[in-house]
Amino acid sequence: MSGGSSGGGPAVARRESVLQRRLTLSDMVDLSSFNEVVKSFVELYRVGIKVFDENGDKLSDVKVGNGDFCGYVFSFPEGRLRCTQTVARIKDGPLQPGQGSRPTSQVDPSAPPGMLTVQCFTGLRYLMTPVLWEGDEIGRIIFGPFQPDDLNELPPSLTEISRGLDLALLQTHLGRIRRAPESTVAKVVLNFGQILQSLVAVGQKTFLTTQLHVEATLETNRELEDKNRRLEDAFNKLKELDRLKSSFLATVSHELRTPLTSIIGYSEMLSEGLAGPMNSEQGDYVKTIMDKGETLLKLITSILDISQIEAGKVRLNFGPVDVPELVGSAISSVRPQALKKGVTVDGKPRGAATLVANADREKLRQAVVNLLANAVKFTAKGGTVAVSVSGPEHQEALGEEGYQITIEDTGVGIPQDQFDKIFESFYQVDNSSTREYGGAGIGLAIVKSFVEGHGGRIRVSSELGRGSRFTVVLPMTPPTPRTTQVPPPVVPPDPDRF
Amino acid sequence: MASGRSRADQASRPCPTRSPCSDRALQTGSAVLYKTKGVSHAGLTLVQLNHAQREVTVKIVYYGPGLSGKTTNLQMLHTRISPEVRGRLLTVETHDDRTLFFDLLPVFFHTASGFKVKVKLFTVPGQVIHNATRRIVLQNADAVAFIADSRRSMASENNSYWKNLQENMRENGLDATQVPVVIQYNKRDLPEAKTDAEIDEVRRKGKEKVIGAVAIRGEGVLETLHTVLQEAYRSIDARSNLSKNISLTEDEFLSQIFKNVDTRGSALERKYPPKTPVPPTPPPSGAGP
Repeated sequence: MSGGSSGGGPAVARRESVLQRRLTLSDMVDLSSFNEVVKSFVELYRVGIKVFDENGDKLSDVKVGNGDFCGYVFSFPEGRLRCTQTVARIKDGPLQPGQGSRPTSQVDPSAPPGMLTVQCFTGLRYLMTPVLWEGDEIGRIIFGPFQPDDLNELPPSLTEISRGLDLALLQTHLGRIRRAPESTVAKVVLNFGQILQSLVAVGQKTFLTTQLHVEATLETNRELEDKNRRLEDAFNKLKELDRLKSSFLATVSHELRTPLTSIIGYSEMLSEGLAGPMNSEQGDYVKTIMDKGETLLKLITSILDISQIEAGKVRLNFGPVDVPELVGSAISSVRPQALKKGVTVDGKPRGAATLVANADREKLRQAVVNLLANAVKFTAKGGTVAVSVSGPEHQEALGEEGYQITIEDTGVGIPQDQFDKIFESFYQVDNSSTREYGGAGIGLAIVKSFVEGHGGRIRVSSELGRGSRFTVVLPMTPPTPRTTQVPPPVVPPDPDRF
Repeated sequence: MASGRSRADQASRPCPTRSPCSDRALQTGSAVLYKTKGVSHAGLTLVQLNHAQREVTVKIVYYGPGLSGKTTNLQMLHTRISPEVRGRLLTVETHDDRTLFFDLLPVFFHTASGFKVKVKLFTVPGQVIHNATRRIVLQNADAVAFIADSRRSMASENNSYWKNLQENMRENGLDATQVPVVIQYNKRDLPEAKTDAEIDEVRRKGKEKVIGAVAIRGEGVLETLHTVLQEAYRSIDARSNLSKNISLTEDEFLSQIFKNVDTRGSALERKYPPKTPVPPTPPPSGAGP
């Protein structure tokens, strides 16, 4: 694609290609090389050769032998007149018989049909033949003058031009002009024509390919310039969008988190009695303000996290991680929440052996915390959340050695048709405004991104009303690159023709 | 038809009233260019009928993926068309026989009314990197023969080049409704070629005529040329009324070429019986083909 017409717009008028041009003989023949060929022919056969293109422009004119003869005849006014007429006939006259010419084949049946014999008033002769290309006459070849072998005496058309004509001198000059049978000259003309045909074929190829090479280079250059311009425009727009996004994130971060931190801080101060004692009801209220503030802060942080992930800006820093220890730490962080809700977290992930894998500790811990928090959130009082770690062992899902972290709960469960959707950003199984469970629906999206950033997989199985099981399968060593990638939106392609 | 001027320039010139320029014709120097009835998004599409030289030029472009058989088609046509109505086959290949720029086979004849008709058959280079050349060769095409590879594994290549053709037509201002495309499914003899039923399915997907071929054996090559020329004639005639303006009918257009073609073994043999014996390559008349 190129040009300003990208996207289906109207085409830009461009310079016409050489392929649309009608080529002339001059276009297709290298003149200096061609003249060398003509000269060598003239030297070999001692007959002059003229070649004209279709416009009558001379490409080559090599004379031999006839200079004195023709010069002498030309010095007489009538000779000049008749000579001019003959030259006009051969140069500009029709390439058909008539007007002083006849088909050469009348005398020599082997001569090609297009060849003409032009009789000069001096008794000399010319043979002329068209240069044909793709059925067009693109020029003419003229051989002569030569002295035909049937010329026995000077014709009256010459001798009558002046009484002062020195016939003996004319005979002397005539002796320098090649005498040959017309049929022999016709063969030479045919041979010369075939060579010219080859020269034209080579010349056409060279001319067209050279011109087309230049055209293609210009076209490619035009296309590249256009693409560069569009890339530059897109780059500038992206830079501007990036600036706006950064600015937006900074604003969100500052304008939301700063007052929220103050709200939490002042609530904490109130709760600790720094502003004086409070009764128990006031204490409960302030505690609620603190809790909700913390929840809101976490939510804002999560939204910022998912923005970073979707912008591809999250970089995973891999290092050795003691996985059971990491899971234990994650359990510790949700245990207060679980205790409060009356949910038991069965956390004995260490098992018999230690398991050290290569991972980004912080991101992996956050993934496990999110899964645990989710499990606690959707499990009713008296329920259980069980965590286990297994491996290292070969993981079918990854096709390599890895480990699994499984979080199983006895909560509400997830409908089977929602298994894929729960990992999408801002998706909630119950999306109603009166839903029982809060949250922005981004915890699992973050988990999925982080797990996939480690080269791992997450899968879910669940039974409604009985509970859910999230299994995270991770490789011992994550692949590079170490940046999480969110695949770009898929644009449906045009339907295929074949 | 290949016009001698840029479309924008042509479209902007007013039509003088004096003869022979009718209400549908433009006089530009010695050439009379007839406007078509159709108006494309890029402006008026023009057909060049050069009255001064009594000449019409039709451009057919063989398009398609690399190694699908575009050059083979032209090589086969070169051997089947009598030198009386065709010129030399110009090919520009790389050392490994890949088309570098294009191939060109000129075909020409005189109509009964004395007009010279030149049909120029071009191929484009198939390799991906030569898109700029493809676009240039496609300029001013009157019809396109899309040479697809029948092998199942090549379906994606075919689709990719089909889209490339659409893009380059659009880039060149060629209106898809006015420039007919004929599809040749080449390499029908290969083991993993699509079945006839599968090709019928492809045929039903679009309006383009689809012809099976084994170009390397000459099968389907003449049929493809006949179909693409027929489509080209009909499209040009619909726009510029060739039958009225230069008294060239579809039958004459096709028969002037195909009566000089060795149609033996093809579906056209009955319609255009080959001359017996098939003419050998005669010595050139004059100094050219």
